[in-house]
Amino acid sequence: MLPNPLALIAEITHRCPLHCVYCSNPMQLAATQSELSTEEWASVFEQSGKLGMLHAHFTGGEPLARPDLRELIAAAHNARLYTNLITSGIGLSEPRLKTLVDAGLDHIQISFQDSREDSANWIAGAKSHAHKIELARGVRRYKIAFTVNLVVHRQNLDHLEEMIAFIEQLSPERVEIAHTQYYGWALTNRAALMPTQAQLNRAVAIVAEAEKRLAGRIRIDSVVPDYYAKYPKACMGGWGRKLMLINPAGKVLPCHAAEVLPGMSFENVREKSLEWIWRESASFRRFRGEDWMPEPCRSCERRSEDFGGCRCQAFLLARDATATDPACSLAPAHHLVESAVREANSEASVAQPTALSSFVQLQKLTTDLWTYRTNPE
Amino acid sequence: MASPLDSSQPRLAAGCRWAPSTTGKEENRMILFPEGAIKLQGTGRQVLERCDGQRTFSEIIAELQKEFGTTDPEKIRADISTFLEQLQKKRIVDY
Repeated sequence: MLPNPLALIAEITHRCPLHCVYCSNPMQLAATQSELSTEEWASVFEQSGKLGMLHAHFTGGEPLARPDLRELIAAAHNARLYTNLITSGIGLSEPRLKTLVDAGLDHIQISFQDSREDSANWIAGAKSHAHKIELARGVRRYKIAFTVNLVVHRQNLDHLEEMIAFIEQLSPERVEIAHTQYYGWALTNRAALMPTQAQLNRAVAIVAEAEKRLAGRIRIDSVVPDYYAKYPKACMGGWGRKLMLINPAGKVLPCHAAEVLPGMSFENVREKSLEWIWRESASFRRFRGEDWMPEPCRSCERRSEDFGGCRCQAFLLARDATATDPACSLAPAHHLVESAVREANSEASVAQPTALSSFVQLQKLTTDLWTYRTNPE
Repeated sequence: MASPLDSSQPRLAAGCRWAPSTTGKEENRMILFPEGAIKLQGTGRQVLERCDGQRTFSEIIAELQKEFGTTDPEKIRADISTFLEQLQKKRIVDY
C-alpha cells in the first residue's frame, strides 16, 4: 500500500531580495503573476493535513516576500501541520516575527552566507549580512525552534571554524551545514563553488570536533557532498515516497528540480487534488518503486536505501533521467563526476579572491566568476 | 554532555510539541520537531508525558518506579536517564 506523504514543501514565491550564487531554484523561475492566491494555498494546506502530512516547509525564493505569509502560516497551522519558515531573514522585523509566531509558526531556519560580512554579501549579491545578524539575535525571544543554515562551498569553506563560532553566539538548537548541491543556479556556477578535497577533509574534521564540543547544546547536521561520496544521496527520500513540492504557480513536483526533466508534465493544484496527484498521477508514479531502475541499481543491495540517487542529477549530468545517478561510484556515467572533481582539484581550477577585500572590490574582481540569481518576471 | 540531575526539570525543547490528537484515544502519540516526528508508545511515552518542565527528574523516576514496581529501580533510573540524554542530543528535550 502506498504510504501518505510526510511533508509539503511550499515554494510560495520565487521572488527574493538576495541573489545567492548557490541557489537551487530552477533557472526558469515562476513568474510573479502566476503565483497561487492566499485561498489557493489555504486549500493546499487543508488537503495536506487530510492526506496525513505532518510538516509544511515554507520556502521560496524568499517566503517573506509574500505579504500574506501570516495568513498562510495560520492556514497550515489550522490544518494541523508543523510549520517551518526557511528564510534569509530579509523582510522580517521583530513585530512581523511576532505575528508569525502568533499565527502558529513552530520553527525558523535562517541562512547565513559566511561569517565575514564582505564575503557574505558578495556571495548573496546583496548587502544583507548585518541585518540578518540583528534579526537572528531577536529570534530567541520567542519559543520556537531555531536552526541556522550554512550553505558551504569553495568560497567560504575555509572559514568554517569561524562560521560555527559565529553561529554559537546566536544560540540556535540546530545548525545545518549544507554543502552546495548542483542544481539550478548552483550548477551554472559549479566551477566556482566546488570545494577541493583538502577543503573538504578539513571541514569534516572541524565538524567532528564541533559536534563533540556542542553536544546537548547545538545539534549539527552535515552531510558529505555527493560528488565526493561513494554512493548517491537518497534524493527526497525517494521519488514520490515522502515529499510533495508545490511551486509558486501551483505545479506539484516530487523535488525541487524535477521541472528540468524532459518529456514529463506535472499536475497543478488548480486542476487536481493533492491526493489524486500523490496516488494516481503519472508524474509521481514515474520513478516510484524499482521498476524503472537500470543496472547496476536493479540488482544493487543499496537500491532500497538510495533509490538509485537523484533523477534530476542523472539528467543534468548524463542527459538521461533513467540512468544511475552519476554521483554513485558504481554508475556507468561516474566519470562525469570524477572529471568535475578532478578539475576542482587541479591547478587550473578557480582561484579564491583575496580575503579581506570589501564587498564592492570582491564584486569587481569576480565579474566573470559566477552568475548571480535573478528575479522572476 | 551531562545526564539529567535529580533536580533537573526536563521539558520539550522550543519548537518541539505533541501532535494534536485526531481521535482522542490513540495509543501512539507523536512528537513533532523540526526535522521530523517520533511515534511514542509504552514507557517512552510515559516518560515524555511527564516532561512538563514542572516535575523534577527524581519525581518522574519515582512515579515510573511506582508503575513498574517489579523492575529494578536502578535500571529504570539508568534507562530513563539515557533516553533523555539521547533526546537532548537531538535537541528535542531540554533539562
